[in-house]
Amino acid sequence: MMGDAVFPVLLSLRVAVLALAIVAPAGVALALTQARARYRLRRLVDVLILLPLVLPPSVIGFFLILVFGRRGAIGGLLDSVLGVRLVFTPAAAVIASAVVAFPILVKTVQPAIEAVPVELELVARTLGLSSIAVLLRVTLPAAWRGVLAGLVLGFARAIGEFGATLMFAGNIPGRTNTMPLEIFTAYQTGDDSRAALYVAILTGLSVGVVLVANSSGPRAMSR
Amino acid sequence: MTAHVPAIDARVAFTVGAGARAFHVEATLSLDSGVLVLFGPSGVGKTLTLLALAGLTPVTAGHVHVDGVALLDTARGRSIPVHERRIGYVPQSQALFPFLDVAANVGFGLPRVLGRGARHARASRTHEWLVELGIAHLASAYPESLSGGERQRVALARALAVEPRLLLLDEPFASIDEDGAAALRDVVREVIRRHHVPAVLVTHDVDEAIALGDRLVRFARGKTAEAGDPRAMLGRA
Repeated sequence: MMGDAVFPVLLSLRVAVLALAIVAPAGVALALTQARARYRLRRLVDVLILLPLVLPPSVIGFFLILVFGRRGAIGGLLDSVLGVRLVFTPAAAVIASAVVAFPILVKTVQPAIEAVPVELELVARTLGLSSIAVLLRVTLPAAWRGVLAGLVLGFARAIGEFGATLMFAGNIPGRTNTMPLEIFTAYQTGDDSRAALYVAILTGLSVGVVLVANSSGPRAMSR
Repeated sequence: MTAHVPAIDARVAFTVGAGARAFHVEATLSLDSGVLVLFGPSGVGKTLTLLALAGLTPVTAGHVHVDGVALLDTARGRSIPVHERRIGYVPQSQALFPFLDVAANVGFGLPRVLGRGARHARASRTHEWLVELGIAHLASAYPESLSGGERQRVALARALAVEPRLLLLDEPFASIDEDGAAALRDVVREVIRRHHVPAVLVTHDVDEAIALGDRLVRFARGKTAEAGDPRAMLGRA
Protein backbone atom coordinates (compact mmCIF):
# COMPACT_ATOMS: atom_id res chain seq x y z
CA MET A 1 0.00 0.00 0.00
CA MET A 2 2.85 2.29 0.96
CA GLY A 3 4.79 1.55 -2.22
CA ASP A 4 1.67 2.32 -4.19
CA ALA A 5 1.57 5.81 -2.67
CA VAL A 6 5.28 6.44 -3.14
CA PHE A 7 5.40 5.38 -6.79
CA PRO A 8 3.92 8.60 -8.27
CA VAL A 9 6.35 10.68 -6.22
CA LEU A 10 9.41 8.81 -7.42
CA LEU A 11 8.10 8.64 -10.98
CA SER A 12 7.46 12.38 -11.04
CA LEU A 13 10.94 13.14 -9.72
CA ARG A 14 12.54 10.78 -12.25
CA VAL A 15 10.52 12.22 -15.12
CA ALA A 16 11.29 15.83 -14.18
CA VAL A 17 15.02 15.21 -13.65
CA LEU A 18 15.34 13.37 -16.98
CA ALA A 19 13.32 16.03 -18.79
CA LEU A 20 15.57 18.72 -17.35
CA ALA A 21 18.71 16.74 -18.25
CA ILE A 22 17.50 16.69 -21.87
CA VAL A 23 16.35 20.28 -21.99
CA ALA A 24 19.05 22.07 -19.98
CA PRO A 25 22.01 21.78 -22.39
CA ALA A 26 19.88 22.51 -25.44
CA GLY A 27 17.98 25.30 -23.70
CA VAL A 28 21.07 27.08 -22.38
CA ALA A 29 22.74 26.75 -25.78
CA LEU A 30 19.68 28.21 -27.50
CA ALA A 31 19.46 31.01 -24.91
CA LEU A 32 23.11 31.88 -25.63
CA THR A 33 22.46 31.87 -29.36
CA GLN A 34 19.36 34.03 -29.10
CA ALA A 35 21.07 36.47 -26.75
CA ARG A 36 24.34 36.88 -28.62
CA ALA A 37 24.09 35.73 -32.25
CA ARG A 38 22.60 37.90 -34.96
CA TYR A 39 21.09 35.81 -37.71
CA ARG A 40 18.25 36.20 -40.15
CA LEU A 41 15.59 34.00 -38.51
CA ARG A 42 16.31 35.04 -34.94
CA ARG A 43 12.97 36.81 -34.40
CA LEU A 44 11.06 33.83 -35.79
CA VAL A 45 12.93 31.41 -33.52
CA ASP A 46 12.17 33.70 -30.57
CA VAL A 47 8.47 33.28 -31.32
CA LEU A 48 8.69 29.52 -31.91
CA ILE A 49 10.38 29.01 -28.53
CA LEU A 50 7.35 30.51 -26.83
CA LEU A 51 4.80 28.30 -28.60
CA PRO A 52 4.74 25.40 -26.10
CA LEU A 53 4.10 27.96 -23.37
CA VAL A 54 1.02 29.28 -25.14
CA LEU A 55 -0.45 26.17 -26.76
CA PRO A 56 -3.06 24.30 -24.72
CA PRO A 57 -1.49 21.19 -23.15
CA SER A 58 -3.92 18.90 -24.96
CA VAL A 59 -2.83 20.43 -28.25
CA ILE A 60 0.81 19.77 -27.38
CA GLY A 61 -0.16 16.19 -26.48
CA PHE A 62 -1.87 15.82 -29.84
CA PHE A 63 1.19 17.11 -31.70
CA LEU A 64 3.45 14.79 -29.71
CA ILE A 65 1.32 11.79 -30.70
CA LEU A 66 1.43 13.04 -34.28
CA VAL A 67 5.23 13.10 -34.24
CA PHE A 68 6.11 10.27 -31.86
CA GLY A 69 3.08 7.98 -32.42
CA ARG A 70 3.40 4.74 -34.36
CA ARG A 71 2.47 6.48 -37.58
CA GLY A 72 4.43 9.64 -36.78
CA ALA A 73 7.65 10.70 -38.47
CA ILE A 74 9.90 9.87 -35.52
CA GLY A 75 7.61 7.35 -33.80
CA GLY A 76 7.26 5.30 -36.98
CA LEU A 77 11.01 5.20 -37.44
CA LEU A 78 11.60 4.15 -33.83
CA ASP A 79 8.99 1.41 -34.18
CA SER A 80 10.27 -0.03 -37.46
CA VAL A 81 13.99 0.25 -36.75
CA LEU A 82 14.27 -0.34 -33.00
CA GLY A 83 10.86 -1.78 -32.21
CA VAL A 84 10.38 0.96 -29.64
CA ARG A 85 6.93 2.44 -29.00
CA LEU A 86 6.83 5.62 -26.98
CA VAL A 87 3.12 6.31 -26.52
CA PHE A 88 1.82 5.39 -23.05
CA THR A 89 5.31 4.88 -21.63
CA PRO A 90 7.26 6.78 -18.93
CA ALA A 91 9.54 7.96 -21.73
CA ALA A 92 6.54 9.74 -23.25
CA ALA A 93 6.00 11.49 -19.91
CA VAL A 94 9.63 12.65 -20.03
CA ILE A 95 9.20 14.03 -23.55
CA ALA A 96 5.96 15.83 -22.64
CA SER A 97 7.61 17.39 -19.58
CA ALA A 98 10.69 18.36 -21.59
CA VAL A 99 8.63 20.15 -24.21
CA VAL A 100 6.76 22.30 -21.70
CA ALA A 101 9.87 23.00 -19.60
CA PHE A 102 11.87 24.15 -22.61
CA PRO A 103 10.36 27.63 -23.22
CA ILE A 104 10.37 28.69 -19.59
CA LEU A 105 14.01 27.62 -19.28
CA VAL A 106 15.13 29.46 -22.41
CA LYS A 107 13.10 32.57 -21.68
CA THR A 108 14.49 32.84 -18.14
CA VAL A 109 18.11 32.26 -19.11
CA GLN A 110 18.11 34.43 -22.25
CA PRO A 111 17.54 37.84 -20.57
CA ALA A 112 20.12 36.96 -17.92
CA ILE A 113 22.68 36.44 -20.67
CA GLU A 114 21.57 39.58 -22.49
CA ALA A 115 22.22 41.50 -19.27
CA VAL A 116 25.89 40.45 -19.20
CA PRO A 117 27.88 43.45 -20.48
CA VAL A 118 29.53 42.69 -23.82
CA GLU A 119 32.72 44.37 -22.55
CA LEU A 120 33.29 41.42 -20.21
CA GLU A 121 33.42 39.13 -23.22
CA LEU A 122 35.61 41.50 -25.23
CA VAL A 123 38.17 41.78 -22.44
CA ALA A 124 38.17 38.01 -21.96
CA ARG A 125 38.98 37.60 -25.66
CA THR A 126 41.99 39.92 -25.33
CA LEU A 127 43.09 37.89 -22.29
CA GLY A 128 43.56 34.86 -24.49
CA LEU A 129 40.20 33.06 -24.40
CA SER A 130 38.63 31.50 -27.50
CA SER A 131 34.95 32.28 -28.19
CA ILE A 132 33.82 29.00 -26.65
CA ALA A 133 35.98 29.54 -23.58
CA VAL A 134 34.49 33.02 -23.20
CA LEU A 135 30.98 31.55 -23.07
CA LEU A 136 31.95 28.93 -20.50
CA ARG A 137 34.25 31.01 -18.30
CA VAL A 138 32.67 34.45 -18.52
CA THR A 139 29.17 34.64 -20.00
CA LEU A 140 27.57 31.72 -18.14
CA PRO A 141 29.25 32.44 -14.78
CA ALA A 142 28.21 36.09 -15.05
CA ALA A 143 24.62 34.98 -15.72
CA TRP A 144 24.64 32.10 -13.25
CA ARG A 145 21.72 33.36 -11.19
CA GLY A 146 19.52 33.53 -14.25
CA VAL A 147 20.68 30.09 -15.35
CA LEU A 148 19.85 28.68 -11.93
CA ALA A 149 16.43 30.36 -11.96
CA GLY A 150 15.78 28.91 -15.42
CA LEU A 151 16.70 25.39 -14.31
CA VAL A 152 14.55 25.60 -11.19
CA LEU A 153 11.52 26.99 -13.03
CA GLY A 154 11.98 24.43 -15.80
CA PHE A 155 12.05 21.66 -13.22
CA ALA A 156 8.88 22.95 -11.59
CA ARG A 157 7.11 23.14 -14.93
CA ALA A 158 8.29 19.63 -15.82
CA ILE A 159 7.13 18.04 -12.58
CA GLY A 160 3.74 19.72 -12.82
CA GLU A 161 2.97 18.64 -16.39
CA PHE A 162 -0.54 17.24 -16.74
CA GLY A 163 -2.40 17.71 -20.02
CA ALA A 164 0.16 16.64 -22.58
CA THR A 165 1.29 13.78 -20.33
CA LEU A 166 -2.28 12.53 -20.01
CA MET A 167 -2.70 12.39 -23.76
CA PHE A 168 0.74 11.18 -24.75
CA ALA A 169 1.80 8.98 -21.82
CA GLY A 170 -1.64 8.04 -20.55
CA ASN A 171 -2.49 7.58 -16.90
CA ILE A 172 -1.44 4.00 -16.28
CA PRO A 173 -1.20 3.08 -12.57
CA GLY A 174 2.26 1.87 -11.66
CA ARG A 175 3.64 3.05 -15.01
CA THR A 176 2.81 6.62 -16.03
CA ASN A 177 0.73 7.98 -13.15
CA THR A 178 2.79 11.01 -12.15
CA MET A 179 1.69 13.12 -9.17
CA PRO A 180 -0.45 15.59 -11.15
CA LEU A 181 -2.28 12.69 -12.84
CA GLU A 182 -2.64 10.88 -9.55
CA ILE A 183 -4.30 13.91 -7.98
CA PHE A 184 -6.88 13.86 -10.76
CA THR A 185 -7.48 10.08 -10.43
CA ALA A 186 -7.73 10.15 -6.66
CA TYR A 187 -10.16 13.05 -6.69
CA GLN A 188 -12.29 11.38 -9.38
CA THR A 189 -12.53 8.21 -7.32
CA GLY A 190 -13.40 10.11 -4.15
CA ASP A 191 -10.07 9.43 -2.42
CA ASP A 192 -9.60 13.02 -1.30
CA SER A 193 -6.95 12.32 1.31
CA ARG A 194 -4.77 10.64 -1.31
CA ALA A 195 -5.25 13.63 -3.61
CA ALA A 196 -4.40 15.97 -0.73
CA LEU A 197 -1.11 14.16 -0.14
CA TYR A 198 0.17 14.94 -3.64
CA VAL A 199 -1.35 18.39 -3.59
CA ALA A 200 0.65 19.09 -0.44
CA ILE A 201 3.88 17.75 -1.96
CA LEU A 202 3.52 19.73 -5.18
CA THR A 203 2.48 22.88 -3.35
CA GLY A 204 5.49 22.66 -1.03
CA LEU A 205 7.76 22.08 -4.01
CA SER A 206 6.32 25.06 -5.87
CA VAL A 207 6.77 27.37 -2.89
CA GLY A 208 10.38 26.27 -2.66
CA VAL A 209 10.86 26.90 -6.38
CA VAL A 210 9.42 30.39 -6.16
CA LEU A 211 11.73 31.21 -3.26
CA VAL A 212 14.81 29.99 -5.09
CA ALA A 213 13.85 31.62 -8.39
CA ASN A 214 13.12 34.89 -6.61
CA SER A 215 16.46 35.05 -4.84
CA SER A 216 18.27 34.25 -8.06
CA GLY A 217 16.19 36.39 -10.37
CA PRO A 218 17.28 39.17 -12.72
CA ARG A 219 17.86 41.70 -9.93
CA ALA A 220 21.05 39.83 -9.05
CA MET A 221 22.54 40.46 -12.47
CA SER A 222 24.51 43.46 -11.24
CA ARG A 223 26.57 41.31 -8.90
CA MET B 1 72.50 47.19 -36.83
CA THR B 2 68.76 46.99 -36.98
CA ALA B 3 66.62 49.69 -38.46
CA HIS B 4 64.47 51.60 -36.02
CA VAL B 5 61.12 49.89 -35.56
CA PRO B 6 58.23 52.11 -34.49
CA ALA B 7 56.10 50.89 -31.59
CA ILE B 8 52.92 51.46 -33.55
CA ASP B 9 52.35 51.78 -37.26
CA ALA B 10 48.70 51.33 -38.13
CA ARG B 11 46.04 52.32 -40.59
CA VAL B 12 42.54 50.94 -40.21
CA ALA B 13 39.41 51.57 -42.25
CA PHE B 14 36.06 50.03 -41.45
CA THR B 15 32.35 50.72 -41.15
CA VAL B 16 30.08 49.80 -38.26
CA GLY B 17 26.30 49.70 -38.47
CA ALA B 18 24.33 49.86 -41.68
CA GLY B 19 22.09 52.17 -43.64
CA ALA B 20 21.45 55.58 -42.12
CA ARG B 21 23.25 54.56 -38.93
CA ALA B 22 26.42 53.49 -40.66
CA PHE B 23 29.57 55.03 -39.21
CA HIS B 24 32.83 55.02 -41.11
CA VAL B 25 36.18 55.08 -39.35
CA GLU B 26 39.49 55.75 -41.01
CA ALA B 27 42.44 56.11 -38.69
CA THR B 28 46.17 56.41 -39.30
CA LEU B 29 48.33 55.99 -36.23
CA SER B 30 52.04 56.06 -35.59
CA LEU B 31 54.14 56.10 -32.45
CA ASP B 32 57.88 55.73 -31.92
CA SER B 33 57.57 54.74 -28.27
CA GLY B 34 55.60 55.60 -25.16
CA VAL B 35 51.96 56.69 -25.17
CA LEU B 36 49.83 57.64 -28.14
CA VAL B 37 46.81 59.76 -27.26
CA LEU B 38 43.62 59.53 -29.31
CA PHE B 39 42.07 62.91 -28.67
CA GLY B 40 38.65 64.30 -29.45
CA PRO B 41 35.06 64.62 -28.23
CA SER B 42 32.95 61.50 -27.69
CA GLY B 43 31.37 59.79 -30.66
CA VAL B 44 34.18 60.38 -33.13
CA GLY B 45 35.44 56.80 -33.34
CA LYS B 46 38.22 56.70 -30.75
CA THR B 47 36.90 53.66 -28.90
CA LEU B 48 36.07 51.92 -32.17
CA THR B 49 39.67 52.45 -33.24
CA LEU B 50 40.86 50.78 -30.03
CA LEU B 51 38.58 47.82 -30.74
CA ALA B 52 39.97 47.61 -34.27
CA LEU B 53 43.56 47.55 -32.96
CA ALA B 54 42.63 44.75 -30.57
CA GLY B 55 40.94 42.79 -33.35
CA LEU B 56 37.56 43.05 -31.65
CA THR B 57 35.85 44.67 -34.63
CA PRO B 58 36.39 43.68 -38.26
CA VAL B 59 38.60 45.95 -40.33
CA THR B 60 37.89 46.29 -44.05
CA ALA B 61 41.28 47.53 -45.10
CA GLY B 62 44.54 48.40 -43.41
CA HIS B 63 47.33 47.13 -41.24
CA VAL B 64 48.35 47.07 -37.58
CA HIS B 65 52.05 46.72 -36.86
CA VAL B 66 53.18 46.69 -33.23
CA ASP B 67 56.94 46.67 -32.62
CA GLY B 68 57.37 45.33 -36.14
CA VAL B 69 54.89 42.46 -35.70
CA ALA B 70 52.00 42.43 -38.19
CA LEU B 71 48.86 41.80 -36.13
CA LEU B 72 46.79 42.69 -39.16
CA ASP B 73 47.58 43.20 -42.82
CA THR B 74 44.54 42.99 -45.05
CA ALA B 75 46.62 43.33 -48.21
CA ARG B 76 48.38 40.08 -47.32
CA GLY B 77 45.26 38.44 -45.92
CA ARG B 78 46.84 38.28 -42.48
CA SER B 79 44.94 38.74 -39.23
CA ILE B 80 46.02 37.32 -35.90
CA PRO B 81 42.89 36.39 -33.91
CA VAL B 82 42.11 38.52 -30.87
CA HIS B 83 42.97 35.90 -28.29
CA GLU B 84 46.45 35.46 -29.77
CA ARG B 85 47.32 39.15 -30.17
CA ARG B 86 48.41 39.73 -26.57
CA ILE B 87 46.68 43.06 -26.22
CA GLY B 88 46.01 44.59 -22.83
CA TYR B 89 42.60 46.19 -23.05
CA VAL B 90 41.08 48.37 -20.33
CA PRO B 91 37.60 49.47 -21.43
CA GLN B 92 35.98 52.56 -19.99
CA SER B 93 33.62 50.43 -17.88
CA GLN B 94 36.67 48.44 -16.64
CA ALA B 95 34.62 45.28 -17.19
CA LEU B 96 35.88 43.43 -14.13
CA PHE B 97 34.47 39.92 -13.84
CA PRO B 98 31.85 40.34 -11.09
CA PHE B 99 31.86 36.68 -10.10
CA LEU B 100 35.61 36.61 -9.38
CA ASP B 101 37.59 38.24 -6.59
CA VAL B 102 40.35 40.75 -7.34
CA ALA B 103 43.16 38.18 -7.40
CA ALA B 104 41.23 35.92 -9.80
CA ASN B 105 40.45 38.92 -12.01
CA VAL B 106 44.12 39.89 -12.20
CA GLY B 107 45.27 36.32 -12.85
CA PHE B 108 42.50 35.63 -15.39
CA GLY B 109 44.69 35.88 -18.47
CA LEU B 110 47.64 33.91 -17.11
CA PRO B 111 48.05 30.51 -18.73
CA ARG B 112 46.02 27.83 -16.99
CA VAL B 113 48.35 24.87 -16.85
CA LEU B 114 47.58 21.97 -14.55
CA GLY B 115 49.88 21.03 -11.73
CA ARG B 116 50.83 22.45 -8.38
CA GLY B 117 53.98 24.14 -9.65
CA ALA B 118 52.08 25.97 -12.37
CA ARG B 119 49.35 26.98 -9.95
CA HIS B 120 51.95 28.33 -7.58
CA ALA B 121 53.65 30.29 -10.36
CA ARG B 122 50.27 31.75 -11.33
CA ALA B 123 49.56 32.81 -7.79
CA SER B 124 52.92 34.48 -7.32
CA ARG B 125 52.70 36.27 -10.68
CA THR B 126 49.26 37.51 -9.71
CA HIS B 127 50.58 38.67 -6.36
CA GLU B 128 53.40 40.62 -7.99
CA TRP B 129 50.90 42.58 -10.06
CA LEU B 130 48.64 43.18 -7.08
CA VAL B 131 51.63 44.63 -5.23
CA GLU B 132 52.83 46.67 -8.19
CA LEU B 133 49.46 48.41 -8.47
CA GLY B 134 49.00 48.77 -4.74
CA ILE B 135 45.94 46.53 -4.44
CA ALA B 136 47.39 43.50 -2.61
CA HIS B 137 45.16 44.23 0.38
CA LEU B 138 42.11 43.84 -1.88
CA ALA B 139 43.08 40.40 -3.23
CA SER B 140 40.00 38.62 -1.91
CA ALA B 141 37.55 41.50 -2.36
CA TYR B 142 34.88 41.41 -5.05
CA PRO B 143 34.58 44.14 -7.70
CA GLU B 144 31.23 45.43 -6.44
CA SER B 145 32.85 46.56 -3.18
CA LEU B 146 35.65 48.57 -4.86
CA SER B 147 35.93 52.30 -5.51
CA GLY B 148 36.36 53.62 -9.04
CA GLY B 149 40.10 54.06 -8.61
CA GLU B 150 40.53 50.58 -7.16
CA ARG B 151 38.54 49.05 -9.98
CA GLN B 152 40.76 50.82 -12.49
CA ARG B 153 43.90 49.46 -10.81
CA VAL B 154 42.49 45.94 -10.94
CA ALA B 155 41.64 46.34 -14.63
CA LEU B 156 45.15 47.65 -15.32
CA ALA B 157 46.81 44.81 -13.40
CA ARG B 158 44.66 42.26 -15.25
CA ALA B 159 45.63 43.74 -18.62
CA LEU B 160 49.34 43.99 -17.78
CA ALA B 161 49.61 40.52 -16.25
CA VAL B 162 49.51 38.90 -19.69
CA GLU B 163 52.59 40.97 -20.65
CA PRO B 164 50.83 42.59 -23.58
CA ARG B 165 52.70 43.91 -26.60
CA LEU B 166 50.26 46.83 -26.63
CA LEU B 167 48.15 48.44 -23.92
CA LEU B 168 44.80 50.04 -24.80
CA LEU B 169 43.30 52.45 -22.26
CA ASP B 170 39.82 53.86 -22.84
CA GLU B 171 39.15 56.98 -20.73
CA PRO B 172 40.84 55.33 -17.72
CA PHE B 173 40.30 58.27 -15.38
CA ALA B 174 36.73 59.17 -16.30
CA SER B 175 35.04 57.41 -13.38
CA ILE B 176 37.48 58.58 -10.72
CA ASP B 177 37.51 61.67 -8.49
CA GLU B 178 40.20 64.31 -9.11
CA ASP B 179 42.69 63.30 -6.41
CA GLY B 180 42.38 59.62 -7.26
CA ALA B 181 42.83 60.40 -10.94
CA ALA B 182 46.05 62.33 -10.31
CA ALA B 183 47.49 59.47 -8.24
CA LEU B 184 46.43 56.88 -10.77
CA ARG B 185 47.88 58.92 -13.61
CA ASP B 186 51.30 58.66 -11.94
CA VAL B 187 50.83 54.92 -11.49
CA VAL B 188 49.94 54.45 -15.15
CA ARG B 189 52.89 56.53 -16.36
CA GLU B 190 55.26 54.64 -14.08
CA VAL B 191 54.00 51.18 -15.04
CA ILE B 192 54.12 51.92 -18.76
CA ARG B 193 57.65 53.29 -18.47
CA ARG B 194 58.95 50.43 -16.36
CA HIS B 195 57.54 47.69 -18.59
CA HIS B 196 58.30 49.39 -21.89
CA VAL B 197 54.84 48.61 -23.20
CA PRO B 198 53.53 50.95 -25.90
CA ALA B 199 50.10 52.31 -25.03
CA VAL B 200 47.17 53.94 -26.78
CA LEU B 201 45.15 56.23 -24.54
CA VAL B 202 41.69 57.49 -25.44
CA THR B 203 40.75 60.75 -23.79
CA HIS B 204 39.05 64.11 -24.27
CA ASP B 205 40.87 65.65 -21.30
CA VAL B 206 43.62 68.15 -22.18
CA ASP B 207 45.57 67.81 -18.92
CA GLU B 208 45.50 64.04 -19.16
CA ALA B 209 46.66 64.11 -22.77
CA ILE B 210 49.61 66.36 -21.92
CA ALA B 211 50.54 64.53 -18.72
CA LEU B 212 50.69 61.10 -20.33
CA GLY B 213 51.03 61.51 -24.07
CA ASP B 214 54.21 61.30 -26.12
CA ARG B 215 52.27 61.85 -29.29
CA LEU B 216 48.71 62.91 -29.97
CA VAL B 217 46.27 62.19 -32.78
CA ARG B 218 43.21 64.35 -33.10
CA PHE B 219 39.97 62.65 -34.15
CA ALA B 220 37.11 64.28 -35.99
CA ARG B 221 34.06 62.43 -37.26
CA GLY B 222 35.66 59.04 -37.61
CA LYS B 223 38.89 60.30 -39.14
CA THR B 224 42.32 61.07 -37.76
CA ALA B 225 42.84 64.73 -38.62
CA GLU B 226 46.29 65.73 -37.44
CA ALA B 227 49.08 64.32 -35.30
CA GLY B 228 52.00 65.71 -33.36
CA ASP B 229 53.41 66.64 -29.97
CA PRO B 230 50.59 66.85 -27.38
CA ARG B 231 51.82 70.14 -25.85
CA ALA B 232 52.23 71.86 -29.18
CA MET B 233 48.91 70.64 -30.51
CA LEU B 234 46.91 71.50 -27.40
CA GLY B 235 48.44 74.95 -27.13
CA ARG B 236 50.51 74.47 -23.98
CA ALA B 237 53.96 74.74 -25.44
